[in-house]
Amino acid sequence: MGDPHVSGEPAPASPGRAALEVSPLPGRCGIRASGEISETTRPYWEEALSRLAGQHSGVSYLELSDVAFVDVAGVTALAVTALGLPEGRVVVEHPPPHLPRVLEMFWPSLPQIEVTPR
Amino acid sequence: MSTMTPDDAFVHPALFYRGEEEYTRQTVAFLRAGLAAGEPMAVAVPGPNLELIRAGLGTDGDGILFLDMTDVGRNPGRIIPRVLRGFADAHPGGRVRIIGEPIWAGRSAVEYPACAQHEALINVAFEGRAVTILCPYDEARLDPQVIADARITHPTLIDGDREETSHAYDWEAVVARYNEALPASPEAAVVSFGSQDLPAVRRFAVAQAERLGVAGRRLQDMELAAAELTTNSVLHGGGNGTLAVWAEAGHLVCEVRDAGRLSDPLAGRRPPRPGQIGGRGLMLVHYVTDLVRVHTGDAGTTVRFYLSL
Repeated sequence: MGDPHVSGEPAPASPGRAALEVSPLPGRCGIRASGEISETTRPYWEEALSRLAGQHSGVSYLELSDVAFVDVAGVTALAVTALGLPEGRVVVEHPPPHLPRVLEMFWPSLPQIEVTPR
Repeated sequence: MSTMTPDDAFVHPALFYRGEEEYTRQTVAFLRAGLAAGEPMAVAVPGPNLELIRAGLGTDGDGILFLDMTDVGRNPGRIIPRVLRGFADAHPGGRVRIIGEPIWAGRSAVEYPACAQHEALINVAFEGRAVTILCPYDEARLDPQVIADARITHPTLIDGDREETSHAYDWEAVVARYNEALPASPEAAVVSFGSQDLPAVRRFAVAQAERLGVAGRRLQDMELAAAELTTNSVLHGGGNGTLAVWAEAGHLVCEVRDAGRLSDPLAGRRPPRPGQIGGRGLMLVHYVTDLVRVHTGDAGTTVRFYLSL
């Protein structure tokens, strides 16, 4: 299973800094993220997705209600992870609106990703 | 005059027309030839011209994709990936035939350089592909400079009943000519950024856009586009840059300057494969904005996008 808690930069000392915190979802296969997914935090996001893919079986969940922003590279990492799953799908719960917008633009009707809107 | 076209050759004629009758006659004949050859066809022209073609074809137009270019091609930078390659890539295996009219009377002086560069870049984007794209030009209403440029961006010219090779054809010259310097606006709100400032500069851009009245999905799109340009500066443009936002003639303008040089003329216009990691940032900027202007050279790169207010 590895380290259950991956953390980005420490909690922001100033509002200009970005952070991403990722933790396991209690009772379900998946992760909860909070903060923002952008260039500054991308390594942590990709590491979390890679771990999610390693544990995936059937349906995995990504709870993103505390994520304020995700950029194109962040959505790309998610889409490429989902495309690489041998079976099943990833349910993305309550993501920031940028995520379905970018998905629709570059991966319209991708069967491996199901989005539950905010 | 007619020459044999190899099966994999790109064919890109400009059609110079004067008035509705000539427009309808020429475009309908072009499409009927495609019908006879069994080619998949799309028509992306301004709304009133769309109606002329539809009326001229009658039920023969039933299998053709009709798009209003003033909508899908408002930003000329998205016509190649979204409209032209979007259609051609969806119909592999044989020649496809498209009418694309990206320049109409009413395109502004700010839009035109991006339109001319788009017409030039079509040639390299489709090199070696079995695609025919006819580009109508309204000779009665367009500026003579636009007509002169069309002779440089199209290898073939159709005027009346004459079809001839363009001896002026030189697409790279038009890309270079309209790579115009973009002077900074004295009205702009400006901030410098480095790699640690990406979240802060993005928030700055969003706050400026809100101040100018951008809201809802347009504001989210603006945030995505500003994030892509500033991230590009950090990753590929020397590690830092300057972002500026201002209002101009009914548009929000957001500009990012850095020390990099954009060497690939098709950057942002090549649709990526689904599993490809990069190559979507600048394309997203083209997709969600109304216009993108670029100036690039040894001294650095400026990318500016416009959103109507």
